[in-house]
Amino acid sequence: SPTGDSWGIFTFLCAALCNLPALPALNCSEELGAGQSIQQTYDLTRYLEHQLRTLAGTYLNYLGPPFNEPDFNPPRLARAERVPSATVDLDLWRGLTGNARLAANYRAYSRLLCYLRVLDGQVGTAELRHRLAHFCASLQGLVLSIGGVMSSLGYPLPAGPAGPPTPPGAPAAPNDFLKKMDDFWLLKELQTWLWRSAKDFNRLKKKVPPAVVTLRLEARGF
Amino acid sequence: QYERVGADVTMKCGSMDWDAAVTWTVNGTDIDESHLNGAYLILKNVGLSQSGQYSCYEGSSWHLKYQTNLKVGTPPKEPVLMCRSNNYPKGFYCSWHLPTPTYIPNTFNISVIHGTKDMVCEKDAIPKNRCHIRYLQLFSTVKYKVTLTVTNALGKNFTTLTFDEFAIVKPDPPESVVAKPVPNNPRRLEVSWQNPSSWPDPESFPLKFFLRYRPLILDQWQHVELSDGTSHTITDAYAGKEYIIQVAAKDNDIGTWSDWRHHSSSHHPLSFLAETTSASTSSFMAPPTTKICDKGAVVGSGAMAVCWTAGLVVAAYSVLFI
Repeated sequence: SPTGDSWGIFTFLCAALCNLPALPALNCSEELGAGQSIQQTYDLTRYLEHQLRTLAGTYLNYLGPPFNEPDFNPPRLARAERVPSATVDLDLWRGLTGNARLAANYRAYSRLLCYLRVLDGQVGTAELRHRLAHFCASLQGLVLSIGGVMSSLGYPLPAGPAGPPTPPGAPAAPNDFLKKMDDFWLLKELQTWLWRSAKDFNRLKKKVPPAVVTLRLEARGF
Repeated sequence: QYERVGADVTMKCGSMDWDAAVTWTVNGTDIDESHLNGAYLILKNVGLSQSGQYSCYEGSSWHLKYQTNLKVGTPPKEPVLMCRSNNYPKGFYCSWHLPTPTYIPNTFNISVIHGTKDMVCEKDAIPKNRCHIRYLQLFSTVKYKVTLTVTNALGKNFTTLTFDEFAIVKPDPPESVVAKPVPNNPRRLEVSWQNPSSWPDPESFPLKFFLRYRPLILDQWQHVELSDGTSHTITDAYAGKEYIIQVAAKDNDIGTWSDWRHHSSSHHPLSFLAETTSASTSSFMAPPTTKICDKGAVVGSGAMAVCWTAGLVVAAYSVLFI
């Protein structure tokens, strides 16, 4: 809906601005405290999930059948393993520390963003390019937002690969169908990560130590 | 011996010759000779009522030569299968039934495939026709494929469901829905409820709720969606009217809404009497600060009591800060 989009754009811009290190005067994340940054990041994942639904629909139609069929359930091929997976053992997920939880999200979305940018350079229609560009911008905002939460909680940012996802010498998908499969799995993993992140941030919301917020107030002379 | 409804059944009297003299009975009752072709019993277009024990006796000696228990039924139609996760993230259950009875015994076999892995769906004792599975992994991108096969003596049939982990999440309805009238405020009803007991981890997987209410006499519902908390105060109830109040639950982010707790058409609706205006408050003075009161407060002494109380609270609060 139009109102949903404007609200979402506003939230993403705020999160992005508040977390840009190049603008120290706008150090909003400190002012807000970790709890509110987590809420913001949570809201961003919901907005992105909503955006992805439309984007994926359009993109899968562009790929054509069988990719746009609702029951399409292909086996995962080994090559698809390069896309970071949200799937995790239940007890392991429960036991993740705040740092590990946030780092997993940060790393996943950084890499997914790289893959999406490669996709952006290849698609045919103008409408798709526009949607992908918009989505990449929002996803960049999410990565920054997660980074902001990690900084405000005192966690180090994971060192990620800054370059392209595939080493320069490696072959691209050997044929058109396998390339489309790669795209299909990329979108699927992205969707699953966004569902997972909502749950990750729910858990983090409950666990942000109140001491962090108190410390910030003391620093300001309350 | 199992036969299809509408089939033609021919029974031989054991090793007796075709032209032997025999008597056929069904459940002890003699069968008329018009159904016989020599020593054979012919049943055309059998119906369910023709199930029973058929016996064939040699004419004069009355020796039992043949006996069979005939059960007339149908091969199974495509079964109805449903899978749902009301205890996310623990797992899910599947339940099934046949759309029409077969009148003969059926066996059900269920298989669950997750990617390349076969999973075991543990059958429940009660209710029957239900099994449950525990998730080993969360946030899976691979769909689950559940196939239910039903077999009986006359045939078999099957159905398949394919779904994502997130798509089948549907909590049970909230429990212990209680509504209390608010004293001295006839337009308010305080509704409270609890998370469904089957939902294992509301801390990490919070639920949101949908409340709807209407007076019994009206058809139009009022709706409220609540993203947290398990209570809500209705502020626009009609004084003195009986109300139907229903609450549904949903995981905050995924899946679908639960069924309504207390569907009004089946059981007693959860009905409450909004309190009628009380008469006792003429002793209160005019409130010091009238602007804290609700704009929508009902005319009457009940409203004054609320304003007075609110004024007192604000006064007490200010004292603390001096």
